[in-house]
Amino acid sequence: MKKSINSFRAAGVLMACLSPLALASAAYSDTTYGPFPVTVKGYSGSKTNSVSYTGQIARHVLHDSLKKLASKGDGGANAANLQAEMMAYFGGSDNNKAIISPVDKGDFNIKQETLNEISKGKNLSGKSYKGVVNGWPGQMTGAEVLASMIEHAAATKGGFDPATGFNYPQLISKFAMGAVFYNQAVDNYLDEKLAADNKPNSKPYKDGAHYTGKEHVWDEAFGYWGAAAHSLNLSAKENYDVAKMKNLAAADANGDGMIDLKSEMTFAHAYYASSFDKGGKTNYMSTVTQAFIDGRQLISDANGENLTDAQRAQLMGYADVIGSNWEKVIAESVFKYAGSVYNDITKLGELLESNGDTAKAFSAYCKHWGELKGFSMALQAGKENLGETAVKLNRMIGFGPVLLNASQVTGMDSQGNFTKDEAMSWGDYQLHMLKIQKLMVDRFGVTAKSKDQTGNMAALADKLGSANSAEND
Amino acid sequence: MSQPLDFFIGIFEHFGDPKKRVFLGYILLSILIAFIWLLVARKMSLRAAIAKVFDKKIFFSRSSRGDYTIFFINRIFTLFISPLLLTQLVVATGLFHLLHRVDWPEFPAAASLPTLLIIMAFTVTIFVLDDLTKYIVHRWMHKWPLLWALHKTHHSATNLTPLTIYRTHPLEGIVFSLRSAFTQGVALSIFFYWFDDKVDLMTVLGVNVLVFTFNVAGSNLRHSHIGIRYWRWLEYVLISPAQHQLHHSVAVQHHDKNFGATLAVWDWLFGSLHHSVETEDLTLGLGQGEPDTDHSLYAMYLRPLLEIYLYLRRRARTAALKITTLFRPTPSVEWLLHPSGNTKTKDQDEKNASL
Repeated sequence: MKKSINSFRAAGVLMACLSPLALASAAYSDTTYGPFPVTVKGYSGSKTNSVSYTGQIARHVLHDSLKKLASKGDGGANAANLQAEMMAYFGGSDNNKAIISPVDKGDFNIKQETLNEISKGKNLSGKSYKGVVNGWPGQMTGAEVLASMIEHAAATKGGFDPATGFNYPQLISKFAMGAVFYNQAVDNYLDEKLAADNKPNSKPYKDGAHYTGKEHVWDEAFGYWGAAAHSLNLSAKENYDVAKMKNLAAADANGDGMIDLKSEMTFAHAYYASSFDKGGKTNYMSTVTQAFIDGRQLISDANGENLTDAQRAQLMGYADVIGSNWEKVIAESVFKYAGSVYNDITKLGELLESNGDTAKAFSAYCKHWGELKGFSMALQAGKENLGETAVKLNRMIGFGPVLLNASQVTGMDSQGNFTKDEAMSWGDYQLHMLKIQKLMVDRFGVTAKSKDQTGNMAALADKLGSANSAEND
Repeated sequence: MSQPLDFFIGIFEHFGDPKKRVFLGYILLSILIAFIWLLVARKMSLRAAIAKVFDKKIFFSRSSRGDYTIFFINRIFTLFISPLLLTQLVVATGLFHLLHRVDWPEFPAAASLPTLLIIMAFTVTIFVLDDLTKYIVHRWMHKWPLLWALHKTHHSATNLTPLTIYRTHPLEGIVFSLRSAFTQGVALSIFFYWFDDKVDLMTVLGVNVLVFTFNVAGSNLRHSHIGIRYWRWLEYVLISPAQHQLHHSVAVQHHDKNFGATLAVWDWLFGSLHHSVETEDLTLGLGQGEPDTDHSLYAMYLRPLLEIYLYLRRRARTAALKITTLFRPTPSVEWLLHPSGNTKTKDQDEKNASL
């Protein structure tokens, strides 16, 4: 008995001595996503870090490159070649491909130049939203919509089709981010793949892997989010500047003078999160990234055993935080671009009134509309069917922007060509933009509210003060 | 912070709020202006001026004590009721949406107008529109019996102090609040529809610069016993304190005059302007034919409601009488000739029978 007490004490002393180390390692992984130890039972390889999401980074790069290519059309002559090239990035192929974006910019040196340096054989098409996309004409799936957009984009000059008002780089990019990254993360990895019997933590993700099922599932969701592993150590502005390739010091976490796309770059929705957060009203970036880190720590702490029900419930809690905040980031984007479209219509109206040149303003309007449309379609690619909200959103935005000749895309014929009809009035269309902003507030509780069209009125109303205190003059 | 303390601060917050007329800074400036008036224009001695400005008979009169009581009760009342009232933002947002339903023409060259000009235009518009609707509603307060019943609470004051502005029936306060919400809502929505984010208000201490100027220029003296008069020409443009005090006079010739709040032009335009007189000669309060008031809570809060009830009952009875007259059977010619009803005598009947 006495011996056992002594050994218990000895263990306590040992624990006390080791605890600073334990704290140090906890502090390290508290603010960065990894490294996390290898916990797979019976793993005999040489790997020491179980974190792996290179496949997702490859898809971010495919997406960035595809967006770049979408504006390379010369008006028809290069359509076939361009379409084939874009499809190679969208559909993937085993041939190694050059990274078209992001590439070196000034002192911002990118470590990788080809996709295979990140991950081999990845594509976007196989991971696109499988349901029917109601926000786009043609009753197509996510992959079909993107392929159709690619075909149309290749035939335009610079990615813009003035006849329909479609800005394809924006449409493709904003929709793909939702249809692939957001959908895969919240509707697959953070949903059914968190079930107890799906990719269990007691087994390697696949035979011979140095990470468990749950570890890798979680890593893949994090990869789609697009934050740099060390993003919690940066301010919102710094994260934003990393995505814009303007702050080498902030991006280069390991100080090797190069940006490793696999862990040091900000992509996709994480970039939009930081763009809203730098306004100071929100903290989407840190909320989501922290939940990812906490969840990963929980899985790592299970040390290769299956998660208990309580652990899985806690993990689902983190997944909920991630899902709801991610959804809000997209809703904030819809809010912002509805505001931009509203402003653009006002500008166009003034130019029409004064017989000014509308070309530039029309192009800006269509660009913002493409972003609005793309984000609104992305919003509908989440875990849950948005129901009435989706119907309202799709009807208010329409299939195309209201054009200067008072027409608008209303559908698609059997050949895949867009059909147009009489558009709603400019006033009604502007009103729709206001209602979309209100919908984003009511349904998703957005708070950053960029380009708020009635917020300034609210602020001024506040300034005027109210006469509600029963006074005679 | 504890709730009772919040509540206490809530009651007195107007004295620290530059948006309110009783802001201490404005009151001090009003006192200063009163002294300048008495010493320079009235050539009073300093001693006499002090005695006049801080006249105990005014500030401790039954009327003034009534003002103080109603100030407290109303402040408590409005702390609860104000969150329920329609705000200018609701009106503005509603109208803003409504404006989009029709493709109104764009404001000519809205984009090229300098922002400063738009801000100045908004500041002036909101001030003038506010003053105009105050004039109109104040006029209604005097002309419509139902509203006059409420407005009498304010006019029952027999002397004026800066706190007399709070001597207002709560229901009247709701009418004023609707007026304000409507006025500001209209201006906000139209300006934002035309000029987007360029719209703003020119302010000093967070207050519309014109409202600030009005308050700095002694707005508190309107409700006071210091009868400052302006030059005759200026009283066509701005209402002087003495002109407003005349508005409170019981004399028949002063009834329904000087409804204006800041600008006198509305009174001038609509024929209700009266130049100021020596206010020492005025008797203030409700006119002849109005029940004497004892500045009691009953008189200030309940009597207006009773008067409204009696008025409505009288109107209902008159209406009922008219309706019954309308449905009475059409009278015959004989009835018209013999309205007493006896068109035939018994004798005549017997005579007819014997024939």
